[in-house]
Amino acid sequence: MDAVETSLALPPPHADTAEARLMSRSIGRRILGQATGSTGFKIGLALVLILALAAALYPELSGIDPVKMDVRARLLPPLFLGEKWSWAHPLGTDQIGRDMLVRSLVGLRTSFLIGVASVALTLLIGCALGTVAGYFGGRTDTVVMRITDAQLSIPMIILAIAVLGVSRPTIPAIILVLGLSNWPVYARVMRSVVMAERGREYVRAAQVSGATHPRIILTLLVPLLLPPLLFTSVLDVARMMIFESTLGFLGLGVQPPTPTFGNIIADGRKYLLNAWWIATMPGLFLCLTLTSINLIGAAFERARNTIHGGA
Amino acid sequence: MDPVLSVRDLSVALTLPGRQRTLLDGIGFDVAPREIVGVVGASGAGKTVLSRAVVNWIEPPLAIRSGSVSFRGRNLLALPPREMRRLRRDIAYVGANPMGALDPTLPVGRQIVEKLRAVMPEVSPKEAQARVVALLDAVRIPSAASRFHDYPSQFSGGMMQRALIVDAMVSNPALLVADNVTQPLDVTVAAQVIRLMRELTERFDTAILFVSSSLPVAREAASRTLVIDAGKLVEEQATEALIAAPRHAYTRALVAQIPVIWGERPTLPAAPKPAAPVHADAIISLRDVSQTYRVKKRGSFAGTSALRAVRNVTFDIVKGDSFAVVGESGCGKSTLMRLLSRLEHPSGGSVLCEGRDIAGLSGAELLGFRRKLQLVLQDPFNSLPPRTGIGAMLEAPLRTHGWRDPRKIREKVRAVMDDVGLPVSLYDDLPLGLSAGQRQRVNVARAMVLDPEILLMDETLSALDQTEQFKLLALFDKLQRAHGLTYIYISHDLAMVRKACNRIAVMYLGEVVELADNERLFFDPGHPYTRALLSAMPSLEERRYRPEDCLMEGEPPSPIDLPLGCAFRSRCPQAFGPCLDRPPLLSVRGARDLASCHLVPGPGATLAGAA
Repeated sequence: MDAVETSLALPPPHADTAEARLMSRSIGRRILGQATGSTGFKIGLALVLILALAAALYPELSGIDPVKMDVRARLLPPLFLGEKWSWAHPLGTDQIGRDMLVRSLVGLRTSFLIGVASVALTLLIGCALGTVAGYFGGRTDTVVMRITDAQLSIPMIILAIAVLGVSRPTIPAIILVLGLSNWPVYARVMRSVVMAERGREYVRAAQVSGATHPRIILTLLVPLLLPPLLFTSVLDVARMMIFESTLGFLGLGVQPPTPTFGNIIADGRKYLLNAWWIATMPGLFLCLTLTSINLIGAAFERARNTIHGGA
Repeated sequence: MDPVLSVRDLSVALTLPGRQRTLLDGIGFDVAPREIVGVVGASGAGKTVLSRAVVNWIEPPLAIRSGSVSFRGRNLLALPPREMRRLRRDIAYVGANPMGALDPTLPVGRQIVEKLRAVMPEVSPKEAQARVVALLDAVRIPSAASRFHDYPSQFSGGMMQRALIVDAMVSNPALLVADNVTQPLDVTVAAQVIRLMRELTERFDTAILFVSSSLPVAREAASRTLVIDAGKLVEEQATEALIAAPRHAYTRALVAQIPVIWGERPTLPAAPKPAAPVHADAIISLRDVSQTYRVKKRGSFAGTSALRAVRNVTFDIVKGDSFAVVGESGCGKSTLMRLLSRLEHPSGGSVLCEGRDIAGLSGAELLGFRRKLQLVLQDPFNSLPPRTGIGAMLEAPLRTHGWRDPRKIREKVRAVMDDVGLPVSLYDDLPLGLSAGQRQRVNVARAMVLDPEILLMDETLSALDQTEQFKLLALFDKLQRAHGLTYIYISHDLAMVRKACNRIAVMYLGEVVELADNERLFFDPGHPYTRALLSAMPSLEERRYRPEDCLMEGEPPSPIDLPLGCAFRSRCPQAFGPCLDRPPLLSVRGARDLASCHLVPGPGATLAGAA
């Protein structure tokens, strides 16, 4: 360490404060700055915040019970539509007079939670296994890839029906099933990009400078390869939310009386002709949530590409 | 004779929204039939743009600003696409990247036939095939008729470049534009390709525009040379006159940068005294090192065969040395590099660092070795992580070695950036906009940041043009003086080695065939392979070794089926009886030098001579 100390004793060649301030803006900050400056990001963020706050607070604050029936106020249309709309039920009521706004927001809670958590689980399992397989190759790769193949060969919906039909479909169980059914795709993608990067010379340089395998993976490869995958995973949140609705529709989701998008649609489908809003509301919320998430994701991706030169 | 090509006042600009940059500015020259005209310039001078403009291949964002390119009196730039397509049979183009130019999913022969039938639809498929096979044969591709059906991946780099020359020549063009064709090739193969081009001008009356970043290479090929600097034609002269008496200041600088090979060397880079006892303070020693890979046997399901990439290599590198390992591609240089840097363990023998076997190191000792020996890589584009800032890239090794204080790390990185001549303002930039030379500086800085004692240079300079090489060599020299470094160069560029190194090992097919000091190796090579390499080396000086005497045809045999006896005999012009069945041993020549050839007098003879 002697040589290191002496070279440090030299006066720092550049101590200009303005320059130092400029340099303190790291690349991550610059991307963040550019992304948050875009209109798409602002709209997306505003929408997400409104939806999240509403889902988190409105059902409790309004004091309306999502399962309370009111037969006199049944099948009321949303505001300003039809004859009998009322301010008490801004999005109308269903066939037994339950408030659609509260029901949808409670449904959004479960749906969003399941969507995000299952994608996070998928990402974690898929990326970890894919990276390990791609980086180490050989026998590790073979084993991981055969597990992946096995998992891929089981259709997601059948797995879900089998597992959730046998056990009680609670929220953790649903997250686990959805998370486990989708990771092979991520493992495959991650494996192939890691394999391509592993052979690059800079990985060799890091190795020669003494970096261990976990360090190379965590400081070099993951920061480089994960962001594009994160962006696609945002789209997967949407897919998972839709899948959760499917399960609910089939009666395999969170059980009634707790409202979910799936069972709301299942209930409303018989009244589609004269009370279209029942089955439409979950879709509307789903659509709003996903659009806003995508706007945020796209803003980040675009900022990343401008800073990194569109590579 | 009327010129086949005449370029007048050609200007090309790069146009992006909001700005414009002139790449070529008022270029004008003529090329006569059967003439080879060289175009020389630094990278970024506009050589590739010029060669593309000549074949009318300028695409947005590039645009022709003014001027004309006349081929047999017709301006190509004004021709309608249909007419231009008809002319493609007379104008051919070969680029620098043979791997990228062929479709990997189609056999090579079929691709060339396809091209021929595209420009000359009147040729029948059968006739086309016969013609391609004949030409493949003419460029000395062994057993051309069966190679015709091989896929590009089955061709070596040199063979692929020759196949592309066939692809260009197959329609008997009147003009061939060769853009840096010899760049990716070994000197011996490059010499073959240049000789082939000369023959073609005589056999088919083709005129060649020979674009190259290296003046010595252009000298090998061209009778007249144009020098381009920053988009302007600065000088045009007969090649010999240009080298002997350059008129323009830029050309003078260019000629001055070419390493002198046979003349007096200006300075030896901090070389130890020749009188220093051998093994005195060897910092790295190889003892009988071998590396064998198991590779899948061709045409079998599970069978493997042994590929002997490195065979019984023994040498010492003394502290302060500039040691070079030279040889053609596939000779085991890169494997040796991986063994030296402990990316792989040898299958036999051992690599010692200051007397300790590096295979046995672990934990703190291994980290200590890692700090001591650093790698500087070849490819300026592959060797830097694309989305990491330069500062962060240089900080990483320090963090690996346990540095924690961000302020100290930053100071150290800035000091090193200053040391290698990188502006500190690049700290937070991505490597994206950097030139190849600057990228290599980042590479050097990444190695230097740990204050190593040994730098392993894996073809570090081969991707750079002459000017950049010159600058980086000066930097290496400076660093060596300042920090007392030991350099190990892995290279195929003998001119660079002559300038920068004091001790040289020549490798052929995994073996060290000659180990000698710089002067001895260049002036009195002990192995015919060394002589062949020297004869193929392009330079601006009078040749010491005539290629006709020592240049071999063909390529090295496969390291899977090593021939019996001397590995070099299939290409050796001096092979005789004992070479057939007895492998030669490294024999002593003088005090410090070794060569493995039956022609070297045995130890007894040396002793007798000494007595």
